[in-house]
Amino acid sequence: MPASPATVTRAAADIGGTFTDVAVLTPDGRLATRKLPSTPENYSDAVIKGVRSLLEELGSPPGALEELLHGCTVATNAILEGKGAPTALLTTRGFRDVLELRRVRVPNLYEPLYERPPPLVPRQLRFEIGERTGPRGEVLLPLDETGVRAAAERIRAAGIGAVAVCYLHSFANPDHERRTGEILREMLPGAFISLSVDVLPQKLEYERTSTTVINAYVGPPVEHYVRSMVSQVEGAGIGGRLMVMQSSGGILDADAVVANPARIVECGPAAGVIGAQHFAARAGFDNLITLDMGGTTAKASLIEAGRVLFADEYEVGGGMSSRSALMGGGGYALKLPVIDISEVGAGGGSIAWLDKAGSLKVGPESAGAVPGPACYDTGNDEPTVTDANVVLGYLNPEALAGGTVPVRAGRAHEAVASRLAEPLGRGVVETAFGIHTVANANMMKAVKAVTTYRGRDPRDFTLVAFGGSGGVHAVDLARVLQVRRVVLPVAAGVFSALGLLFSNLEMNETVPFLHLADEAPLDEAERRYAALADRIAAVVGGPREEIRFTRHADARFAGQAYELTVPFGGGGEPGANGPGSKAGRGAGMRDAVAAGGPADGRLDAQAVAELCARFEAEHLARYGHAFSGEFPVEIVNLRLVGTRRPAGIIEPAPFDPASRTGPDARRGVCFGPASGLVDTPVIGRGRLGPEPRTGPFVIEEYEGTCVIPPDCTAHLDRLGNVIIELPAAG
Amino acid sequence: MSSVPRTIDPFQLELLKSCFDTIADDMALTLMRTAHSGIVRDSLDFSTALLDAGGLTLAQGICTPMHMGSFHDAMRKLISRYEGRIDPGDVFIFNDPYAADGQHLPDIYITTPVFTEENRSAEPRLAAWATTVAHHSDVGGIVAGSNALGAEEIFQEGLRLPIVKFIAAGEPNRALWDVIALNVRTPDKVMGDLQAQLAACRSGEREMLELFARYGVDTVLDYGTHLQDYAERLTRAEISEFPDGVYEFTDHIEGLGEEPELVVLKARVTVAGEDVAIDWTGTSDQIKGGINPTFPFTKASCYAALRSLMVSDIPNCHGFTVPIEVTAPKGSLVNPVFPSPCGARGITGYRIIDCLFGALAKALPDRVTADTAGGSTLPTIAGYENGKAFVFCETFMGTWGGTSEHDGQQGVPHMGANQSNVSIEMIESEYPIRINEYGMLADTGGAGRHRGGLGLVREYEILSAEAVLNVRSDKRRFPPHGLFGGRSGSPSWNYVNPGRSDRVLPVLMTEVEKLKRGDVFRHEMSGGGGYGDPLEREPEDVLRDIIEEKVTPAHAERAYGVVLAGDGEPGTWSVDLPATRRLRAEMRETAASITPAAAD
Repeated sequence: MPASPATVTRAAADIGGTFTDVAVLTPDGRLATRKLPSTPENYSDAVIKGVRSLLEELGSPPGALEELLHGCTVATNAILEGKGAPTALLTTRGFRDVLELRRVRVPNLYEPLYERPPPLVPRQLRFEIGERTGPRGEVLLPLDETGVRAAAERIRAAGIGAVAVCYLHSFANPDHERRTGEILREMLPGAFISLSVDVLPQKLEYERTSTTVINAYVGPPVEHYVRSMVSQVEGAGIGGRLMVMQSSGGILDADAVVANPARIVECGPAAGVIGAQHFAARAGFDNLITLDMGGTTAKASLIEAGRVLFADEYEVGGGMSSRSALMGGGGYALKLPVIDISEVGAGGGSIAWLDKAGSLKVGPESAGAVPGPACYDTGNDEPTVTDANVVLGYLNPEALAGGTVPVRAGRAHEAVASRLAEPLGRGVVETAFGIHTVANANMMKAVKAVTTYRGRDPRDFTLVAFGGSGGVHAVDLARVLQVRRVVLPVAAGVFSALGLLFSNLEMNETVPFLHLADEAPLDEAERRYAALADRIAAVVGGPREEIRFTRHADARFAGQAYELTVPFGGGGEPGANGPGSKAGRGAGMRDAVAAGGPADGRLDAQAVAELCARFEAEHLARYGHAFSGEFPVEIVNLRLVGTRRPAGIIEPAPFDPASRTGPDARRGVCFGPASGLVDTPVIGRGRLGPEPRTGPFVIEEYEGTCVIPPDCTAHLDRLGNVIIELPAAG
Repeated sequence: MSSVPRTIDPFQLELLKSCFDTIADDMALTLMRTAHSGIVRDSLDFSTALLDAGGLTLAQGICTPMHMGSFHDAMRKLISRYEGRIDPGDVFIFNDPYAADGQHLPDIYITTPVFTEENRSAEPRLAAWATTVAHHSDVGGIVAGSNALGAEEIFQEGLRLPIVKFIAAGEPNRALWDVIALNVRTPDKVMGDLQAQLAACRSGEREMLELFARYGVDTVLDYGTHLQDYAERLTRAEISEFPDGVYEFTDHIEGLGEEPELVVLKARVTVAGEDVAIDWTGTSDQIKGGINPTFPFTKASCYAALRSLMVSDIPNCHGFTVPIEVTAPKGSLVNPVFPSPCGARGITGYRIIDCLFGALAKALPDRVTADTAGGSTLPTIAGYENGKAFVFCETFMGTWGGTSEHDGQQGVPHMGANQSNVSIEMIESEYPIRINEYGMLADTGGAGRHRGGLGLVREYEILSAEAVLNVRSDKRRFPPHGLFGGRSGSPSWNYVNPGRSDRVLPVLMTEVEKLKRGDVFRHEMSGGGGYGDPLEREPEDVLRDIIEEKVTPAHAERAYGVVLAGDGEPGTWSVDLPATRRLRAEMRETAASITPAAAD
């Protein structure tokens, strides 16, 4: 394609473990992407190379870039590899082991050989300080400043550059932590100091300590990374402010990220969800299940009424984040806003095997990208999900990824036959379909963890699939979930980079506010929201009137231990404009929104009544019952989100069908255990039109493959999304 | 390798198994999130299960292993008693160990029959059960929390519920609700938790009906049966890898009150081919005290122990239990008869698991841990504050012994109950109690090539004018034992006002201790047993323990024969290797390595 001169002002670069994806939208809305191998020795190399080559191709001067949007793995890698900054922790006397003892629960039953990951701060660097505050903020023992100074001396002597401080009940009275912070900053200039009252002013000492420690532990490496990325990108003549994605799906500028490093731990998967959210919204869908199926795992998330949902409990480094709270205890608690993403070990590289009773299992062991599936013929003989998909005719028998990865279908057949089909006494194709089915059963668990576990019915949602293997499994997974529509977006292989291009500046802050809703001092609530708004405005930056604030409260029935987050104030009716089904009860309501300040209207009795109604509706949706009238509603935290839409966001242009006419071939494809291999056309996305085309057919392109079975129809929308309609169940 | 019969679609089986699992887990999540008492919502002492029409478990939520396999007897009783009288919209409730084959009175079951709606013209058909059991904060009786160790008959333990309809055809049995609310010390929490159980059952029912609609009732039920067969085959395949033989072990509970009489558990495990038989002959007789586990609970604890020693991902369903035979003399501690009290029987469940680990250590040395801290310590602190009763109770855990692969873990639950600790900030804001200390104690882990986990400490200060204290603990006379040359961990202690009156309470209190404002109760948990000869522990590992303040230099010399070099300043420590070699040689010669300091 000839490059037309155009001035590109925003570029996105998302770094993953294997690849760095770069994407830009030209002023006329054309999407251009690059996929490069990541350069772990210096991540900015691939970023600079990718951005440069894209801009050169488009004829755009690199200096014209105003923003470089970035997703990175620096924080998560620091934790997973144990390479964060050596960190010290100051705690209330008697409680230095809270960090190490965690919540006691373990992620798996029946595992005597289970070993916990080591605490991020070893015991000798956890200093106990004489001080005590009670649950109502009352000081029971004054701060032992001499003790703080003695600890600071030892921290300095040990050459430690990161310090976390978390005292009991500090959210109720921050004085001791603040004073400790002053002393530490005075005695340890240059050290990265994290106070729990700044990072997470909420009850529950383990979660608050752990989150504060993570912030300190990743602080220095994130700062180093961000500063060096900024200077190298500038040095390479690429203009533009560096903006980094947070785990919540919003972006922040470099300075804000350096000050809040724990907020970017899960930014990679978050960017993919944001990409799905924006692409599907433009296609007219706002209730979505997103499915990102890669080489090793599949990740599912939920978008309801156009909004991402946050995880109630999150741990980093605990293995796969599936099934949330029930599987918790294996990692490090991080209680900052993280998009609720559930993960299972079912990717293209996941290995299929027989257990001791001869039943077929898929994963969690994976052949990964190296050596990869058996059909890569690079040393792995175990059958994988990708091998099954080759046997079934879903994937090209000669080469994948637009011809860039050669495969030998014979090796896939051999692996499935010798390891599984023969011991099972079944046909190779039948067994391959079994692998496909079991992989879908695993993915179903990931989807259920973000839908039925929240009281949401998957049938009320559209499944949007991306990642290398998403399009191969989406329709059959949708059948299991009884989902009736599947969307396979264009450029699904670089979805995280796309998400960056569409993301908003965002900051989410909370403040404790423990009151029965009916007795809550509303003037005080207004003051707290106003203080949060000031903090958020300072972090988000830009003109204050451009910031859109949404007020929420974390509420529960008095006596419960878990809260639900619901909008507070600003009108809106419970249950209004939901997606028209029980999935929408409660959460499909209007946000309490105001531009510039926390809200237009003041909080009043009406606002409290609405809060209670919304809370009860959400409780009913999630848990199937509400204690309405039996237990009063209690507010636990006030929560304010400030978002600002960056000026330079460009809408993607309509899809050009001529750009992807792709292959025009046929091959045998299996659509069920009884069907055998059916002669099926293989086409490019561009050959599909706006009129529904009945299956079977296969769409093959560089980013992946979509399989449309005989009983489904598919058409292309104006943005190039493949929209597949499934028949009614039965 | 056995294999799936040719007539069954193995892939469909895997799919439906996943469906059953997610439904049971979904129920668990609902229960946890909506519960009101600390012991349910924070400690997570509950279980959820999906059962077939005959009461066989299809799936159990990821909850409490000691509840696994414990639904069966109770459900069988329910189904036979109410045959022909089970209607849509019914909800059953029960707790009695004898009348209902329950576990102990605080564990209240709520179960809902699931009726199919497949054919609108035909009668609805009973096709499944959604069941929950939750440990309630109080069900009355002589001691707040209803786990009186000193109870001599079940009538002293609280409200006994036979199998009755809590809701009959959609109509709540209001009289029963009122009776329950009036007989418990914490009606808000109990009624809130019962509602949470109801919500969980409704969630299970709803999802099961969707499954029937999607795959057809008969297909789902058929695959439920296939799932049982599959679980049994997988269990048999696992057992066939155990070396055949007879393995015996004797373990102890130290007895009740100020003058405890030793309680003996004697396990004889016979592994023969694909079957395991566990016999408890030789175990003490049932005792006049609340630690007798009813036989369903004994069986469930045996299942949990064996499941922990298997490596396959065996479904949590009834089929798993088929190859495991458990026998115990009637009237023995582990198979008591009416009216033996059972309130605090959890401790015996833990000890059953410990005892089976001890027995099977010889058969499976690479799969067990050396002995653990013995399950939760259960302190109950109760009283009145501003005219309202409060009952604080928590399951305080835990520490494991060393294993063939690594040191014992601390801050972990017992294998029998995957429970959480309760947040200190939560306790202090809801109860007139202050926690003064929570942490690990140095030198308490049993010495070994792989050290036992450290014992933990928790100190409670009373802030109300008066309160009563009841404690269930163990492992003082018989601290957690080591394996293969590893030493025992330190013993456990219960102190009132340490440093002041220094009163030591028995491990299992039969009478409550009266406390007043400012009094302090301190529990020091035992440390885990060591694994392997401590003189073979890498000196560098001992040094790391010293640096992390988990072992003191003096203890390192006495227990591990490791001598430090350096000028005494922590930052300068290193191992004096020649001195260490000399000391270890001497110690080997005199075989004089000793038990941990705290046990001296």
